[in-house]
Amino acid sequence: MHWIALRLLPEPPPEATASPDAAALADPRKALAWWALRFTPLVAQVEDTLVLEVSGSERLFGGRPALLQQFLMLNEPLAPVEYAQGATSLVAMARLWGGTQATPNALPVQTLAAARPHLPTLAHLGVRTWGQLRALPRGGLVRRFGAGLVDALDRAYGHRPEVYPWLTLPEVFDAPLELAASVESAPALLFGARRLLAQLLVWLRARQRGVLALELLWELDARRSNTLHVDAHHTGGQQGRLELRTAQATQDMAHLQRLLGEQLARVTLPAPVLYLRLRSLQTQPLAGESHSLLPDDLRKGDSLHQTLERLGARLGPEHVLCAQPLADHRPEHMQRWVPWQAPAVSKSAPKSGAAGAMNTGARGLYDSELLDEAAALYPTWLLPTPQRLVVRQQCPQYLGPLTLLAGPQRLETGWLEGEPALRDYFVARSPQAGLVWVFRERMGAQDWYLHGLFA
Amino acid sequence: MLSVARISSDASDLQDIHADVWHAHALASAPQAVQSTGDARLDAQLPGGGWPVGALIELLQPAGVHSEWRLLLPALARSGQGPVVLVGAPQPPFVPALAAQGLAVARLVWVTAQAAPARLWAAEQALRCAEVDAVLAWLPQARGDQLRRLQMAAAEHHKLLFVMRPPQAQADASPALLRLQLAPQTQAVAPAQAAGSDTLAVHILKRRGPPLAEPLVLQARPARLAVWLAASQLPALAPTEVSVDVEKEADHALDRIAAVA
Repeated sequence: MHWIALRLLPEPPPEATASPDAAALADPRKALAWWALRFTPLVAQVEDTLVLEVSGSERLFGGRPALLQQFLMLNEPLAPVEYAQGATSLVAMARLWGGTQATPNALPVQTLAAARPHLPTLAHLGVRTWGQLRALPRGGLVRRFGAGLVDALDRAYGHRPEVYPWLTLPEVFDAPLELAASVESAPALLFGARRLLAQLLVWLRARQRGVLALELLWELDARRSNTLHVDAHHTGGQQGRLELRTAQATQDMAHLQRLLGEQLARVTLPAPVLYLRLRSLQTQPLAGESHSLLPDDLRKGDSLHQTLERLGARLGPEHVLCAQPLADHRPEHMQRWVPWQAPAVSKSAPKSGAAGAMNTGARGLYDSELLDEAAALYPTWLLPTPQRLVVRQQCPQYLGPLTLLAGPQRLETGWLEGEPALRDYFVARSPQAGLVWVFRERMGAQDWYLHGLFA
Repeated sequence: MLSVARISSDASDLQDIHADVWHAHALASAPQAVQSTGDARLDAQLPGGGWPVGALIELLQPAGVHSEWRLLLPALARSGQGPVVLVGAPQPPFVPALAAQGLAVARLVWVTAQAAPARLWAAEQALRCAEVDAVLAWLPQARGDQLRRLQMAAAEHHKLLFVMRPPQAQADASPALLRLQLAPQTQAVAPAQAAGSDTLAVHILKRRGPPLAEPLVLQARPARLAVWLAASQLPALAPTEVSVDVEKEADHALDRIAAVA
C-alpha cells in the first residue's frame, strides 16, 4: 500500500497564475479529483484533502518515481498542489498537514483527525506524538476516549483496512457556479461560463469524450425577478436556459466559447443573474486526431463545420445554405437550398474532413451524363420566383425589348402535384442585361415571365 | 502555368532584388500560386498566367448584368474539392447549370446576409476556414479599408477571393491585386447573327504590368451554349409571330424542344 495525499495550495499569488488565456476552473478541487482518477481508481476526498492509493497502478506508469513525476508535471495547468506520501492514508495526510517527513511514531498527535477533540486532555497527559499515544494501554484508551481513536490508530498503522467512499467520474457533467457579483447583461455571463467550460474540459478529457450538446442555465435574482417575462430563453419562471449544439463532437473549448458568445449576444436578461449551471446533454466518444507527417498537409484555419456553425450562430442558420438537388423537370423544383448541416462523418476518418464527406454524399443526380446535355444550356442564376414581364406592343420587356434567340423548349408537367406547369421556355436577349431565360404561360393569360439569367 | 512575362536580361537582375519589382513594360512574374482561368487569351494577359491565389480580385459590373460565372466557373471547377462560399449572391445560383459546367453541387455554400457588415464578416470568416477553396463576395458598398482586411485574410490563408462591385467603384482606390471591368457587348446587329456574336469585353483596370490599351474581347458564352444558340437560330421573327406559332402548335406538340420553323 502506498498513499499520496494532496491538497490545493491555499491562494496562488496572482502573478503566478499561469497564462491569462487559461481560464480559472469553476471547482478546482473537483477537477483535481477527476484528473487524479487517471492514475488510480482509488481516490477519496477527506475534508479538503485528496487521498490516492497508487500501489496497484504504479507499475503501469513505470514505477513510483515516474508516476510521481507525471503526476506533478502534468497537473501544472490545472492547479498548483502540495503533496505528501505514506504507507497509509492517515500517515500521508498527517505528513501533509504537519509539514514533516517524520516516521509515524514521531508524528505530532494533532495531525490525527480522530484525536482532535481530545487534544487538551492528551496534552495534560503529556502525549505529544503518535508513538506515545500508541504506547498507552488499549483498554484504558477505549474507556477514556472511545473506540474511534483506537480504530484510527489501527488504521494509521495498517492493522485495519482503510475504506473510503471512493470518488467516481459522473456520467453527466453538471456543475453549478455562484457568480461573484450579480450580472445584468447576458454577454457578461460569458465570463462565468468560461470557468464552467474549463471545468467541462477536464471532465471530457477524463472520460475521453467530445461534447455535442450543452445546456447553460441561469437563475434570476428572486427579489427582482420578472416572472412574467417569456421569450425563447425564459419560460416565465426564475430560470433561463440556453441550448448549444455543435455538429461534431468536440473538446475545443475556444469554439464552444465563441458559439456561446454569439448566442448570448442575442439574450436579454429580465433580471440580474446570481447562479449559473452548465450541463452536458449529449456526448460521444472521441477518437484522437491523426495528423499528417508532411508539413504541406497542415493547413491553418478553422474546420468547415466550425466556420459554418459560427456563421449560423450569428446570422441565423437559415442564412447559411447548401444546395440539395431534386429530380424534377420544373426548374424551380430542381434544387432546394436548405440550412447547412454537418454530414455524418464516420469515426474511422475524422480528419479527412467535412469537404470529402460532402462530396461523396451529395454526388449523384447531376453527375449523370444524361442530364448534362440539357443542363449545360440552363442559366446559372435562377430567380426565386418568376418575374412577370411587361408586354409592350406584344413584345416582352426586361430592361428594354427582348429578342428571342432560341426556343421554344416546351415544359408540361407538375399536374400530379396540382400545380401544373405548361410553359414554353425561350432564350432571349435583353439590350442591357444580356441573355435571359424567359417563359410564356400556355394557360390563362399567356403572360411572359423572366425565370433565369445567363451569367 | 504558362509564363508570358518577357523578361529582358537586366530584368532578371531586378527580379533578384525582390519578387515585387518588375519592369513597367513587362508583366510581373507571380510571386504566389495562380489558378488558370481556362481561357488562354485571358491567361496571357494576367501576371503569372491566371487568377492569383491568396489575393483580392475585383470584378466590376453594372447592377443586374452578370458575367461572373462565365469568367470564374472554369477556374472554380479546377480549383480543388473544397467548398466555394458565395456571400450575398444576388439570386439563387441554379445548381444544375453549375454542375454541368464542372462545379459540384456539394461544394456550394450560400451565405445570404443582407447587411453590409454581416457580409464582410461572413467573407472574412470563410477565408479563415482551412477547407474552403474560394470565396465569392458581392460587396456593393465596401470601403477600401474593409477590402484591405479581406485582402490580408486571403493572403494569410491562401484562398481565391473574388469581390463583385458596381462600376462606380472604379474611381475608388482599392487594395486589389487585379481589377477587371466586365461589359457584355450587345451591339445591335441583325438577330440572325446575334446568337453567335455575343462577346464580353474585359477591361483590365489594374494588374502588375503595363496597362492594357484595348479591352480583351472574349466569347461571352460557354462553348456548348454558343453552339446551341447558333444551331437554333430563329429567323428574324418578331415575338408576335412566334407567339402565333406557339398557339397553333399548342395542342399537338409532343417534342420537348420544338423547333419553330
